[in-house]
Amino acid sequence: MAEPLLRVENLNVTFTAYGRTRQVLRDVSFTVAAGERVALIGETGSGKSVTAKAIIGTLPKNGRITSGSIAIGGRDVLTMARGEREALKGTAFSLIMQDPLSSFNPVFKIGTHLDDVMRFADRRDGKVSSKADRNARIAAVLRRVQLADTERVMNAYPSELSGGMRQRVLIGLALLHQPRLLIADEPGTALDVTTQDEILNLINHLVAEEDMALLMITHNLGVVRKVADRVVVMHHGDIVETGPCTDILHRPSEEYTRSLLDAVPPLYGPRVTDLPQSGEPPIVRIERLNKIYGRRNGYHAVRDVTLALKAGEIFGLAGESGSGKTSVARMIMGLSRPTSGKLAIDAPDPGRGKRLTQIVYQNPGTSLNPKRTVKQTLTLPLKSIGMDAARRDARMRELLELVRLPQSYLAKYPHELSGGQKQRVAIARALAAEPKILILDEPTAALDVSVQKTVIELLMQLREELGLTYLMISHDLSLMRNFCSRIAIMLRGEIVEEGPTPEVFAGPRHPYTRALIAAIPVVTDEEERLKPTVTDEERMRFLVKTTD
Amino acid sequence: MADMKMLDSSDRGLSTGYMMWYRFSRNPAAVAGSLILLSVVILAVFAPWLTPYPKHVGAVVDFRARHLPPDLAHWFGTDKAGRDIFSRTIFGLRVSLLLVIGVLGISVPVGTVLGLIAGYFGGWVERIVSGLTNVMLAMPPLVMALAVSNLLEPTLMNAMIAITLLWWTWHARLIYSVSKSIASEDYIEAARLAGAGPLHILFREILPNCVSVISVKTTLDAAFVILFGATLSFLGFGVKPPTPDLGSMVADGRQFMPDFWWEVLCPGAAVLYVTLGFNLLGDGLRDMFDVES
Repeated sequence: MAEPLLRVENLNVTFTAYGRTRQVLRDVSFTVAAGERVALIGETGSGKSVTAKAIIGTLPKNGRITSGSIAIGGRDVLTMARGEREALKGTAFSLIMQDPLSSFNPVFKIGTHLDDVMRFADRRDGKVSSKADRNARIAAVLRRVQLADTERVMNAYPSELSGGMRQRVLIGLALLHQPRLLIADEPGTALDVTTQDEILNLINHLVAEEDMALLMITHNLGVVRKVADRVVVMHHGDIVETGPCTDILHRPSEEYTRSLLDAVPPLYGPRVTDLPQSGEPPIVRIERLNKIYGRRNGYHAVRDVTLALKAGEIFGLAGESGSGKTSVARMIMGLSRPTSGKLAIDAPDPGRGKRLTQIVYQNPGTSLNPKRTVKQTLTLPLKSIGMDAARRDARMRELLELVRLPQSYLAKYPHELSGGQKQRVAIARALAAEPKILILDEPTAALDVSVQKTVIELLMQLREELGLTYLMISHDLSLMRNFCSRIAIMLRGEIVEEGPTPEVFAGPRHPYTRALIAAIPVVTDEEERLKPTVTDEERMRFLVKTTD
Repeated sequence: MADMKMLDSSDRGLSTGYMMWYRFSRNPAAVAGSLILLSVVILAVFAPWLTPYPKHVGAVVDFRARHLPPDLAHWFGTDKAGRDIFSRTIFGLRVSLLLVIGVLGISVPVGTVLGLIAGYFGGWVERIVSGLTNVMLAMPPLVMALAVSNLLEPTLMNAMIAITLLWWTWHARLIYSVSKSIASEDYIEAARLAGAGPLHILFREILPNCVSVISVKTTLDAAFVILFGATLSFLGFGVKPPTPDLGSMVADGRQFMPDFWWEVLCPGAAVLYVTLGFNLLGDGLRDMFDVES
């Protein structure tokens, strides 16, 4: 058997912080053969990124490889001299970063970024190259990542390109020197689904065309199905199982992998949950709502939106970034005033200090004050509705019970809690002042899938127990398929399609809805088959341009 | 950044206090700075008991002992009136510390509150506060201080007033920018939705997040205040003689340089010692608070 391109053997890595040493990787071994596509999958803290950093040689200062070996092309990189190892970057392997915006220095043009990399690599190889020659080579690379107007892209500043285009340039940057192994750290996760889909297609296309090997690091099982031949599942620094992609996704042998797959909300098939439709009268009525930001030639964020939220239902407002879904939610919350149109909430006045609506934010890391304990955070809404200390304590105990957190958590600060626990505290805060309508702004986007599952279950139970109405804003259609009873799709400020969730997914009428659903990475082949089809012409009409 | 987050999440069991203490105790600069300041505070507070010639603080004249070089009886030598420079330096530290407490005790709260308000409310409040700070910052500080102490009598109190008038602007401007960025955080909006009033948001939600910035800035500022105070007294606008003040002691000794070098160098070294202490501690605090930022 030929020596694989990348061989990681019994890799052990420890991190030292605050005088304590922890093992973050335990005997991690896997290989990537030439031309093979391998996905490293795991949740937060599984060690997948640490593994990638160890391979590239960018472990943080307090991380240490205690034993094991990493061989690229049969040569152990850990025993290599520094300069020699440095020289491998870009030629033996290349890296595609996660965040397409922060990877560029905003004050330099795209062309400068690419030219710098090329110039340094040429100098390292002892080659003298002219600017014109390098420019020609850069243009060729940009064309390979499907950026046809190379002149414009090279003269643009990073902020002038869309997220998808920046991600393409990053991929181009990685390809400058025909590496044999491409390491991709969650490419496209920061982008919209449709853009992410195109980026994954591009990576697949390039890997096949250039005969590169791919090591994809991701937490998304749908992405894995799309881009990997073989999957390595990691959990808490251990490799749980390794196998061909279809085996892992359809016939996992380990309990952990099964639970991970179970937590992924299905898009189609028997596992899909259909929520009952609410027969209640509408509680929120919106008619021809418009929002224009700025005075003259302002940005028309919401155009003639007409909606009705029935009491007790979970209404999903779906759309990609910039579609206006958050603007609609903020107007319902009373946080911003509509430019024109009617907005009525049909419920009795809740009384002193109470609000009909409350919100659960996307990122619990930023929606809880880091300097305030859970108790202080929860006291605020209770105090504002006029509860005295004794009743507040009782109510706080009740709230923690509602969100299934132990009482001892009252004294904790946010940084002592995990992401899911923080989101539970945020939910408790939202519920404290007894709202009727809860707005969920992508409540699980910042969480791992298994945590997402528990938070969603909690939200479902709370709705039943407390008789709440939810408005969920999200771009994650597979989650909304299972969580919302009705759904509306927004595109550039307008609602393009609306209806009961099962109907919308069974027969999406608007081409944009079809394109959106088709772009979702799914786990099983069956779901892929059931997705609606979109013609290229439709795709061109509705999707954000990521090429030129 | 991502690495740090990963680490911190794994250290969830550790309390903030422990993490800060860990960073502090392993930061030689911070430890050295706080030891220096501890010694300065002890010396200043117990000056009457720790100094060999506490009477020399006043208008004592002993011409037989004038301009004595440093020896075992007079560690820092004596000055033109035969007074023990060591004793006077220690008492001079008292004046310096009083100045720091007086100036920062007023200007930090004032600057902080104005900064918080301007950053959170925005609009015309922001325009007024930032306009005022801009005007104040445009004045040359030394000229301004000299003008004020010229108008009033040159006493410690008036020097304090002169410096305070200038100092709050730096704090206002710093806290303004911090407050402005915190004001747009999700948790501030969440607090508003939970029914919090402006006072609660300013002092319970935003202020705790400014504590690290304020304490670093205040510590570093203390060093500047001492230098500034010393400059004023050096120019003759500070503390009235015979009260010992480090700046005026340096000024007095200047005419006897280089023959009686100890009269300038010893009080000067004391200024250096205190300033260094504050600066080291300030830098150490900055590293320590990086825990959260």
